[in-house]
Amino acid sequence: SWRACSSLRLGHSLFSNGLLRGLHTTQAAHKAQAGRYRVTRNRSKPLTYEMANQPCQIAHRKSWNSWNTTSLYEGLREPETVVDDIFIRKFMTGTWHNLFVSEVIIKRQHNMIRIAGIVQRKIAARKMYFLIGYCEELLSYWLKCPVKLELQTVPDKKDVVYKYI
Amino acid sequence: DIEDKMLKLGGVTPRLYSQVLRLAASCNIHTTLSTFSELKAEENEEFRTLELRSKKFVRQPARVMKSHNVVPPRYKRQKVDQDWGNVWPAARTFHPASVPLPVRQGYPASGQVTPDKWGNAELMKIPNFLHLTPPVIKRQCEALKKFCTPWPSGIETAAEQEKYFPVMVSKSTYLHSSPTLRDQKARIVTLRVSLKSLDLDDHGRDKLLRLVKNRHDPTTDCLTIVADRCPLSQQNYDYCFYLLTVLYNESMKTEPWEHEKEVADRERYIWEGSPSQAALQAIIDSNEDSTPEEVIEEYKKVVIDLHNEGEDEPTLSRYRDSVMKLVGLA
Repeated sequence: SWRACSSLRLGHSLFSNGLLRGLHTTQAAHKAQAGRYRVTRNRSKPLTYEMANQPCQIAHRKSWNSWNTTSLYEGLREPETVVDDIFIRKFMTGTWHNLFVSEVIIKRQHNMIRIAGIVQRKIAARKMYFLIGYCEELLSYWLKCPVKLELQTVPDKKDVVYKYI
Repeated sequence: DIEDKMLKLGGVTPRLYSQVLRLAASCNIHTTLSTFSELKAEENEEFRTLELRSKKFVRQPARVMKSHNVVPPRYKRQKVDQDWGNVWPAARTFHPASVPLPVRQGYPASGQVTPDKWGNAELMKIPNFLHLTPPVIKRQCEALKKFCTPWPSGIETAAEQEKYFPVMVSKSTYLHSSPTLRDQKARIVTLRVSLKSLDLDDHGRDKLLRLVKNRHDPTTDCLTIVADRCPLSQQNYDYCFYLLTVLYNESMKTEPWEHEKEVADRERYIWEGSPSQAALQAIIDSNEDSTPEEVIEEYKKVVIDLHNEGEDEPTLSRYRDSVMKLVGLA
């Protein structure tokens, strides 16, 4: 707990040579820094809604990016699904080079995988159609089930900015 | 002469003009050769400038991305009285251009309104039921009606169902969102039957209960057989019925060694031939007045209850009353 945390500082003080050796005598209680962005001086960093809401806001103001039945009681195939999700995310962000402006959303329904996300309109529609077909085809072969892409396009990445910090 | 012309136009010095031409040269803008060579000749009169550092990087104008022709959003072409079931036939991630509703989702940033549906990832994450609007559900029910038959007559009440279908077999199937269909728990088959519908006599019932042990529930008088030892549910189902058949047949049979059943093996207390009966007989015989029948019957019943149901407050009090009546003190 935060009250039970104490740390010793051995060695010289900070001002003499800048070297400090710290020692925790109780359990180390560091501040949470996952999924949190540092405020800039001139409010120039754009954040999407996803980035602006911290992980503690999941199920309050934020929803999950991955929907499946594996984490239910006696749900099967949880680790394989996680690994598949990681692969799908890497594959999508890599294939759609610099085009995704939101997280890749993966929904599993029966034996189908539905991949959703927001994409910029930097490339022509014909190229997008090709990429959609390519992703669906290859992913369905790799993951052994039907894959459907349900993307939304946005003219500029400024359209998904929620706030600036 | 160019110099005179420039001075006549006013304000444009040769130096500025040469700078413009040099800039024009670096930007690959076309200039006439004649003017350039003339300027160069002029420049040779002056000292050449020594450039130690490389030329400063001249920023090119930013490449303008071609804006691709975008089709206007679909909702603009949708009629007010369209058939929504045709627009959204199956489950699909929310698409703002196809849904004509002005929905908003999200916690508003300070000083802002709730984020709208365009570019809203939260709306895409959540499951929507746009494919299951009431008219669509009604249409699906109408389509399924032709596969439905009415409930058979003669088995409306639970009693009738129990009478005609005493055996109840239950089995679960499981659905996961994964490429595989297999779930091991789907092989488990449970068979439930009430012993009333088995038509067993006393001996048969006693034998069945001994064979079945804790699979019988005394409160509901139901026998439950669970089979999961075979890999397929069909095999487990057959095994359940095989077990039921075997149990019934065995309990109807009487083995030659069953006559060796002793008093200690009896599952309940039997009055006939017990020491309490002999004792009561002795009391009746020693009694001058004939004890009334109902007192004897009551004592017999109370002693049977005491043995079968255990010793607790009501049974003991009844025993006491009965004994008092028998002895003549009550």
